[in-house]
Amino acid sequence: MAAQMIYLDYAASTPVDSRVLDRMREVAEKNCANPSSTHAAGREAQALIATAATQLGNLLSVDPATLVWTSGATESDNLAIAGGARYRAHRGKHIVTMKTEHKAVTDVFETLAREGFDVTWVDAEPDGRLNPATFAAALRDDTQFASIMFVNNETGVIQDIEALGQICREHDVLFHVDGAQAVGKLPIDLGRLPVDLLSLTGHKFYGPKGIGALYIADRAGCHVEPILFGGGQQRRLRPGTLPTSLVSGLGMAADVAAASIASDLEHLRGLRQILWEGIRDIEGVMLNGDPDGFPGILNVSVEDIEGESLLLALEPLLVATGSACNSKTQEPSYVLRALGLSDAQAQSAIRFSMGRPTTRGEVEFAARHYRSAVARLRDLAPQAAA
Amino acid sequence: MSADPYNARVRECFTAPAHAGDLAGGVTVLADDQGVRVMLSASVADGRITALRFRAWGCPHLIAAVEWVCSYYEGEPLQALEKFPVARIMEDLAVPIEKTGRILVVEDAIQSLGRSLNH
Repeated sequence: MAAQMIYLDYAASTPVDSRVLDRMREVAEKNCANPSSTHAAGREAQALIATAATQLGNLLSVDPATLVWTSGATESDNLAIAGGARYRAHRGKHIVTMKTEHKAVTDVFETLAREGFDVTWVDAEPDGRLNPATFAAALRDDTQFASIMFVNNETGVIQDIEALGQICREHDVLFHVDGAQAVGKLPIDLGRLPVDLLSLTGHKFYGPKGIGALYIADRAGCHVEPILFGGGQQRRLRPGTLPTSLVSGLGMAADVAAASIASDLEHLRGLRQILWEGIRDIEGVMLNGDPDGFPGILNVSVEDIEGESLLLALEPLLVATGSACNSKTQEPSYVLRALGLSDAQAQSAIRFSMGRPTTRGEVEFAARHYRSAVARLRDLAPQAAA
Repeated sequence: MSADPYNARVRECFTAPAHAGDLAGGVTVLADDQGVRVMLSASVADGRITALRFRAWGCPHLIAAVEWVCSYYEGEPLQALEKFPVARIMEDLAVPIEKTGRILVVEDAIQSLGRSLNH
């Protein structure tokens, strides 16, 4: 990354915490064994895996035995949704999710639809939240599985997971939560929340890329079928040799997060307020999503501005656009369209996402630079001459 | 690392367009299609384009293309407006093929300008 760039894309990925790096290096240097090997070094690797599971279990308030290691949230989502829906298919093939879910969820639901599952896509309210009554109304006698994300990756909207999970329990529906944007960032007590399956990934909370986990609640009827085959690891749910240093890194990231969540949230609330206060009076600017969402994300649109040009004009800010990040299509975000934004509004959307290392000076610069970029593009546009 | 969608010429034309603005008393035309808008203003003396300015709403490639076009035609005789160097623009600015329609809106603006100036 060029030194002069200002990174405001923490919802896409976070830098690895130095304590995590130290732990990964230490583990990689001292143990090269396969954790499945029965010799001493293998048993030592298995103990390192167990330590990491305990660290992650502590963060989520769950028994470490309920955690299955994966390559990241996409795999966890696939395992939970495809594996969970198929496991319960003999009881019913109706499954439910939201229109604003991540592609790692929606694409699996579409795959299941092609397999013969009946999918209901529930709408969000204009602020991005899911009304529990809307969710309850979508459930049927043959509904067996539902998936709702904890924090939306584009807008930061936080869903009422407790209420939605309770509805699932009342209807005996297996409830999966995509927690990729929530774990390590919000306090999550799975000992209390009625959640059956929860996906997470390390690189969203200062851990390494390439490692994630799926929580599978230890309760009757809660299980998934494997989607990968090849070995007996992890109770055959997810075969494959475990990457000891990555798992240890995720465990350390969980430890760091457990000690940092409260101060991180306070820090992010302050930054988000500075950023929003710095741009909210721009004519035609609008905040997308719930103002009380996760404070690390601020998603804004602005009238009469072309999104691709705005993104380039915003350099050296490294932010995300509301488009599909595909220069060939420049399709507006389906998430923002689902909240009722027009194509033009969605196309002008910019997601600022801040993290632990973000400074007040960086967001103050971002606000000034956003104002300047919008003004320049408006001045360049034909209507400015009218 | 994925390739930068904008080459150095696009970045230069987009970041510091020397021909952005209006010309008081000049001939002005507007082309509006493909979800983009291009406005050109020209002044002419002795059968030559003495100054060309633009306003545009669209992607960076479009804005760069309009700046490129203004530089290209300034100082040229009016007859030059009868030809539009679409291939050179596409090549110089490495315009993705799917954005060809937007460049053709620039051509529409140039043709419209030619018609207006020849009246």
